[in-house]
Amino acid sequence: MKMDKVDYKGQIGVQSHVEMGPLDRAMDDLDDDCLYSSEMDAQKTQPILSNQRFLFSVLPVGGYKMTRNGVYKSIKTVVFSNKLNLLMPFGPLAIMVHKMSYSNGWVFFLSLLGITPLAERLGYATEQLAFYTGPTVGGLLNATFGNATELIISIYALKSGMTRVVQLSLLGSILSNMLLVLGCAFFCGGLVHYGKEQVFSKATAVVNSGLLLMAVMGLLFPAVLHYTHTERQVGKSELALSRFSSCIMLLAYAAYLVFQLKSQDDNYVPVVEEGSHNGEDEDDDEAPEISKWESIIWLAIMTAWISILSDYLVDTIEGASVAWNVPIAFISVILLPIIGNAAEHASAIMFAMKDKLDISLGVAIGSSTQISMFGIPFCVVIGWMMGREMDLNFQLFETATLFITVIVVAFFLQEGTSNYFKGLMLILCYLIVSASFFVHEDPSATGQSKLPKT
Amino acid sequence: MDYKQQVGVQSHVEQMGSVEDRSMDDLDDECLHSPGTDARKTQASDSNRQIPFSDQQLPLSDGFPIVGNKMVRNRIYQSIKTVVFSNKLNLLMPFGPLAILVHKLTASNGWVFFLSLLGITPLAERLGYATEQLAFFTGPTVGGLLNATFGNATELIISIYALKSGMIRVVQLSLLGSILSNMLLVLGCAFFCGGLVYHRKEQVFNKATAVVNSGLLLMAVMGLLFPAVLHYTHTERRVGKSELSLSRFSSCIMLVAYAAYLFFQLRSQNDHYSPINEEGSTHGDNSDNDEDEAPEISKWESMIWLTILTAWISILSDYLVDTIQGASEAWDLSIAFISVILLPIIGNAAEHASAIMFAMKDKLDISLGVAIGSSTQISMFGIPFCVVIGWMMGREMDLNFQLFETATLFITVIVVAFFLQEGTSNYFKGLMLILCYLIVAASFFAHEDPTSTDQKKQP
Repeated sequence: MKMDKVDYKGQIGVQSHVEMGPLDRAMDDLDDDCLYSSEMDAQKTQPILSNQRFLFSVLPVGGYKMTRNGVYKSIKTVVFSNKLNLLMPFGPLAIMVHKMSYSNGWVFFLSLLGITPLAERLGYATEQLAFYTGPTVGGLLNATFGNATELIISIYALKSGMTRVVQLSLLGSILSNMLLVLGCAFFCGGLVHYGKEQVFSKATAVVNSGLLLMAVMGLLFPAVLHYTHTERQVGKSELALSRFSSCIMLLAYAAYLVFQLKSQDDNYVPVVEEGSHNGEDEDDDEAPEISKWESIIWLAIMTAWISILSDYLVDTIEGASVAWNVPIAFISVILLPIIGNAAEHASAIMFAMKDKLDISLGVAIGSSTQISMFGIPFCVVIGWMMGREMDLNFQLFETATLFITVIVVAFFLQEGTSNYFKGLMLILCYLIVSASFFVHEDPSATGQSKLPKT
Repeated sequence: MDYKQQVGVQSHVEQMGSVEDRSMDDLDDECLHSPGTDARKTQASDSNRQIPFSDQQLPLSDGFPIVGNKMVRNRIYQSIKTVVFSNKLNLLMPFGPLAILVHKLTASNGWVFFLSLLGITPLAERLGYATEQLAFFTGPTVGGLLNATFGNATELIISIYALKSGMIRVVQLSLLGSILSNMLLVLGCAFFCGGLVYHRKEQVFNKATAVVNSGLLLMAVMGLLFPAVLHYTHTERRVGKSELSLSRFSSCIMLVAYAAYLFFQLRSQNDHYSPINEEGSTHGDNSDNDEDEAPEISKWESMIWLTILTAWISILSDYLVDTIQGASEAWDLSIAFISVILLPIIGNAAEHASAIMFAMKDKLDISLGVAIGSSTQISMFGIPFCVVIGWMMGREMDLNFQLFETATLFITVIVVAFFLQEGTSNYFKGLMLILCYLIVAASFFAHEDPTSTDQKKQP
């Protein structure tokens, strides 16, 4: 979230400059600004420089033809500029299959595939919007929408009363980010940069580890309270404690954001969720690719689409579990996060291979911190408002898993260096975790019934 | 560790034939009384060292067929003298045959157990010695692998015999005890004694290696934790079978990780990380005095002795495992306490002594290699290896060490990892580690193992 390196004022200045002046001058400025920065590689597979000249004209000013052209260019930029978007048709396909057949397994699988590119584009739109809103709000945007996909899925699951799925999918998201994504990034980066050890900002890693440990503490107490049968009022105590702890964790997360944004010029290099604006020298001249209104509109469209597909996803998860003969726990903890996070996964690996390990760390560990300190408490509060009894008691097995994983990862990160062996160890740890969930029978999943949607 | 150089010298000696003068000069240069092999010698054995070499000038080293009978006898005599009589610890050797004798004469299980334990101790030490000698001849890579595998051969042999008898709990407990004693007692004593000798300054060791080993130990704890928690929360899909399959899968993964670790170590020998050698006598950091270590026995002798010692250890292990239950009843101690505390302490006595000695010579990296390297090896290689061997034998050994033992290992690894991450040591840290071990030992003294009561010995 180191927005100061990207000269927002400069970009906005160019924008208004373009609007005022003749196109020639604008073209020159654009040529200067549109350095093909390496971060954008992840998001573009074709050059779109020509598009930008059109897009910078604000829609209301142009005629009807301009509007149609603008919309067409916008769609071209957002929808067609990424290979991952080949998966987009799977979304509508999932809806079709759902209407035509009863095959829950297929609907689940297809909606999962359909969500993946949407999640990635959502991140892209968020990033584009962040160009226009200045560093502070931009940082907040990234912090909130960074894991919007997981939150939307969780809210739908909460509405259906499947609180266990919420807990498991958020837990799985944390585990996969901490072990699999980080491990792959370390491993691939270590293989590519074989001769030397890659370094990353130890301070940021340590702060994030501390936050993760605090989240584990927040999760541990309700679970231990329940498991030792020492609560004052059975059932109510853990819920009350969970809700209180969630508010505290949200407070801590807010303080963390304030601390990050305030200390942007100090030692700590803040951890960026999508990470494309980290403080490297060649990244200063990134240009937004779509205008502010377009970003907002696309944000809304993506969110709506994701919501629709999440609805189908949550509806069919039980059916898929029965059809494929794997426990719901395994699907929620392992499959859902891996496929949902595919885009972030790929970008983390790519940054590691370019020796920009801080950005990879931001994508991986930043995401884990965000889910554990913001996502989970947020869902508890949302559940509170909806009247659903979601608490922080993730049951002993899951809590123990999170605890040992956080300790292992915190230990690995504290040195500030990485090599392929550390990456391999993290990946192997993830294999052990997934194997454990494969043979794990969730005791509460059998007793969970789907409540009617409100 | 300059294996190539050693091998080069050896072949130099062999090739030159019986030019005694030349070899004597070379030998005088090489036979610096290097500290690395002090652990193996407590008497001034310079004379011992030179005599075998003078024998090697004859074409003997190429193979027996060439020589006469008298030479062979001399040779064997010298070899025995070097291997068997050059170490005070070998005074315990007669206890081995004594144990067998007592077993045949009386039914006193307690005594047989005790005597075989005492008898194994020197054999374990000599096994390490023979491995080290063999490593001279095989080059750094295979040498490292040899050390990595045979370093804890004694524990593995005892465990395999226990597995054969179906005493799975004894296997788990003895391996666990080995890890605990290495991490706490051996390391603690090394830090403590080293700190007392060098009490003005803080001793330092290679932080990077310590951190890598701590990471591996944490990964091992992770591998052990999941089956235990799965069982304890009664959340396995199929009771009994799930933990077993998970254990076997995790064991394969841990073995892969250990192989990757060895690969990574050997690859980065020239980089930051100085590899942790199990016996550690030829480490690359204090290279000034250790460069000129010479192998003391020839390659064939090493292998022969290796085989002989392994055979002896197997025989004694058999008696050990047979009599452990009887000893437990005779001495009124739980089998858990014997397996976790007594067995590893006595079995590891030689490594213990050498770690302390290296610490007192300010070679803390070698001590760390002996202590933590041994723990890592047992946890990432020994335990999964026993699970796989049990799998092949049809024994249901899994990684579920029961909650108490798993929790002990977990907290111990965290404490030790924390102590090691600073990269320095002093006598206070050593004392704390020793006191932690006393707490652990006391806990096991008061601990009643729930599963050992219904464990029967299977043929």
